[in-house]
Amino acid sequence: MIPPLRRKMFRDLLRLWAQVLAIALVLAAGVATLILGNGAYSSLHETRARYYDSYRFADVFADVTRAPRALMAEIAAIEDVLAAEARIVKLGLLDLPAMTEPGTMLLVSLPEGGARGLNRLHLRQGRLPDPQSAREVVLSEGFARAHRLRPGDSLAVLMNGQRREMTVTGIALSPEFIYALGPGEMMPDPRRFGIAWLPRPGMEAAYDLESAFSNVVLKLAPGASVDRAIEALDRLTAPYGGGGATARSDQTSHAFLDAELRQLSAMARILPPIFLLVAAMLVNITLSRLITLEREQIGLLKAIGYSSRAIAQHYLEFVLAIAALGIVIGLAAGVWLGAGLAQLYASFFSFPFLVFTRDPQIYGVAAAVSAASAAGGALFAVRAAIALPPAIAMSPPAPADYRARTGFLRRRLSLRQTDVMILRHLVHWPLRTASGVLGMAMSVAILVASLWSFGSIDHMIDVTFTRAERHDARVVFTDTRPARAAYAMRQMPGVLAAEPFRAVSAQISHRNLSRRLSVIGKPETPLLSRVLSPDLRPMTMPEAGLIVSEALAEALDVRPGDRVTVEFLEGARRTVTLPVSGVSLGYVGLGAAMELSALNRALGDGDVISGVGLLIDDAERDAFYAAAKDTPTTGFVTVTALTVARFKETLAENITIMITVYVALAGIIAVGVVYNFSRIALSEQGRELASLRVLGFSRREVAGILLGELVAIVLLAQPLGWFLGYLMGLGMVSAFSSDLYRVPFVIRPDVYATASLIVGAAALASALAIRGRINNLNMIEVLKTRE
Amino acid sequence: MAIDGKIIFRTKGLTKIYRSGAQEVHALRRVDFQAARGEFIVILGPSGSGKSTFLNIVGGLDTATAGKAWFGDRELTALDERGLTRYRRDHVGFVFQFYNLVPSLTAHENVALVTEIARRPMSPDEALALVGLSDRRDHFPAQLSGGEQQRVAIARAIAKNPEVLLCDEPTGALDSVTGIRVLEALTQVNRTIGTTTLVITHNAAIREIADRVLRFADGRIVDETVNAARKSPAEVSW
Ligand SMILES: Nc1ncnc2c1ncn2[C@@H]1O[C@H](COP(=O)(O)OP(=O)(O)O)[C@@H](O)[C@H]1O
Ligand SMILES: [Mg+2]
Repeated sequence: MIPPLRRKMFRDLLRLWAQVLAIALVLAAGVATLILGNGAYSSLHETRARYYDSYRFADVFADVTRAPRALMAEIAAIEDVLAAEARIVKLGLLDLPAMTEPGTMLLVSLPEGGARGLNRLHLRQGRLPDPQSAREVVLSEGFARAHRLRPGDSLAVLMNGQRREMTVTGIALSPEFIYALGPGEMMPDPRRFGIAWLPRPGMEAAYDLESAFSNVVLKLAPGASVDRAIEALDRLTAPYGGGGATARSDQTSHAFLDAELRQLSAMARILPPIFLLVAAMLVNITLSRLITLEREQIGLLKAIGYSSRAIAQHYLEFVLAIAALGIVIGLAAGVWLGAGLAQLYASFFSFPFLVFTRDPQIYGVAAAVSAASAAGGALFAVRAAIALPPAIAMSPPAPADYRARTGFLRRRLSLRQTDVMILRHLVHWPLRTASGVLGMAMSVAILVASLWSFGSIDHMIDVTFTRAERHDARVVFTDTRPARAAYAMRQMPGVLAAEPFRAVSAQISHRNLSRRLSVIGKPETPLLSRVLSPDLRPMTMPEAGLIVSEALAEALDVRPGDRVTVEFLEGARRTVTLPVSGVSLGYVGLGAAMELSALNRALGDGDVISGVGLLIDDAERDAFYAAAKDTPTTGFVTVTALTVARFKETLAENITIMITVYVALAGIIAVGVVYNFSRIALSEQGRELASLRVLGFSRREVAGILLGELVAIVLLAQPLGWFLGYLMGLGMVSAFSSDLYRVPFVIRPDVYATASLIVGAAALASALAIRGRINNLNMIEVLKTRE
Repeated sequence: MAIDGKIIFRTKGLTKIYRSGAQEVHALRRVDFQAARGEFIVILGPSGSGKSTFLNIVGGLDTATAGKAWFGDRELTALDERGLTRYRRDHVGFVFQFYNLVPSLTAHENVALVTEIARRPMSPDEALALVGLSDRRDHFPAQLSGGEQQRVAIARAIAKNPEVLLCDEPTGALDSVTGIRVLEALTQVNRTIGTTTLVITHNAAIREIADRVLRFADGRIVDETVNAARKSPAEVSW
């Protein structure tokens, strides 16, 4: 036997199903974003951890020019080193008939023990090469897929200037290249960058490294000090051209993956509270109205002996039922979308498997938080209900008294009476009006906070590639070359201009802060690869000092005039102190620039360069690519147009998905708020509106009054939404910025306009849903009854 | 019948049947009726006899099941929703038992609500003066007594200078002294601007202030009395 009050609750739920659903959906969005963000984050985090663990991803990485293999015994003896592996890692150039533009292949020697060792491969197809073969190779999956290469196919790679024909024996993944970023690129491009694993003998021969190695990786004991291991390793490798070891946290693939995961978890923190707050406000205004309408029933229930507690429980059950619906929808959507999102990431990055973590704790937290916010929203409304003495509850409420707050309206301009009604109504219920405005503002804010990224990316591309890095292509030599190599490049087909640069890896420190990066040497007045001041003016290179990017200045806490210690990690490995002469704008990585000859002087080197930036005649592009490939000194070539295209393409894919999700979420809020708001307004003013119909107001005019109130709410919400969106954007910028990249915070006016339009459209849609109810107002019924 | 001029209302065989499920309620059974311009008609009859249904149909709030109704030479029963709205807006003033004032507007503003959309309205102040409420113009409904609210409702109904004023138990919620004041307001309006007025009431004593009294029973007009001389409400004993 269902108790009567519970039966009433179920009937109320059915009767008010549309409002109930609207609130439940807003709650569901909060639950879903919580589950989704946390679920995808923890799935990916866990997947990565297991991947690293099972495939023995190294902890420390170091490059050397050429070190004897005998050194390995000493390296392995470093305290806390569990395993040390000597490798040959070199860049080769792709020589594919189907691809004219330059592509790079990272060649990595396979350990002699076959599949043992560190950074183990996960074979997707085929087999590992025969350890003795000089022709067999395993390719990274992304690259193989981009070129439709399968075991048995062959491909050619230029190794150390020599063309080698190889046979693919297998396709593999590696924990070392989850995020496979090519040299000098901004986004992974599996077409133009791949990894090839080869047996050691062939590599030794090609690079003249018999009984030597060019790269070493270490696995440390759990809890070991990475810094101490790096220090010891650097001491041992320094004589052999060691450029300084890096910890896992600075390893390219790991660092980029980490940045992505951090963004994901930031979103999981920003969004859910917004939805839960809006849901609580909706519960509050809806329940308040319900209780007002049921005033007499409440009085009656009390009069026949129901306790205040029982009545409070009844309304709380009603709210918790809504919360339960929202939680169920949200959990289902969150689990489903979370799995989809994790899959998306897993395929963007190359994971061999995906671990779905089903952390019951996060479901519990999501459910509890949602139920609590709904109950919190109900609190005041229910308190008002149980505070009513039965006798008063059973008499009708006193007519709404509009005396108090309307003085200023008398001084109105020439408003129509219907506009006065709208205004007075809004002013008379300040809390409800505020809830509506804040709710709408939230949905505007969510859109502003997601849409701004488009403009921001355009700005970033514009600044980076059309104002700063203006070269069409850049050739990086295998080794430093004499400065006259730039003139040789100038003679190549299609080259219109050439500008030399030198890049030297260095550790820059200021007090106890320090960062590793490449110091770039440029001509005094660079024309192709320019350095821009924060106000976008090109800067000239100072005679002696460094120009540091804003990101580096922040990381090291330096200002122009401060001195920093620069420890060069190449050549004679000198350490110098240099003044900071200026701060420059830069969005990608940390940057430090110097005048080229000053850099060479500081290094104690002669007039040498690392590569050149080039302007290329479009018509002779392919001829240039071919010539660059055939030049033995070419280490790798980057092409600005291809880099930019890939950058845009990748972001477009990711952002489109993100924006779709955000627009849907913002739409849910907008529809939920407007629908509930208008249903409540209609319930309160239905009688007034029906009387107006009797007086001869048309349906359109009557609908106009209710819609006018909505329009006022929506309009009031816009500036607030813009402002909140701006703040959310600021929060996101700081959550997204890392040493890898900074996001410029640019909100173009069209972002505000688009956000407002989308929310306006959602509001209009839910207002139209109400219109049917306005049209069917029963005039006669209203006239027969007292409220 | 007092058809001494122009006929403003006419119905022929007016029938209204409410169907709810298998049940049929005959609210009006072939009612034939005429009213002349400027007449003050009182409608009496037991509860459920069809008075309100009749008033609502001639007022353009409801539609008939069968039969016809004319306002002047315009056939009301042929109008669509839009036409009925137009008709109410331009020609009809309503007064109901539960005043139905807009609580967020003052007395003056409640009247202005109608004058703003009317074709040839009087000024709101003039309408309030007609019902003796000039001094209450800036009061909100919550600040007015029931009788005052009803008089504002009358002022609002007549402010557009309607041809007809339809009142459904306008004194039903009021005590008798206040009721008299409201009826005085109605007769005052009828005399001053010649509005044809139909008043439904339960109070038989009101009949003496009318030109004509109709009695409804079971969906029909069963009795009709023409008063040679109308009394003023103050003369009526309640
Ligand atoms: N909307 C309706 N649905 C069904 N029956 C109705 C409806 N409105 C009125 N009635 C019925 O029509 C009859 C006449 O009602 P009404 O005109 O309101 O009478 P009166 O105003 O004389 O009291 C009554 O029997 C009433 O129950
Ligand atoms: Mg009636």
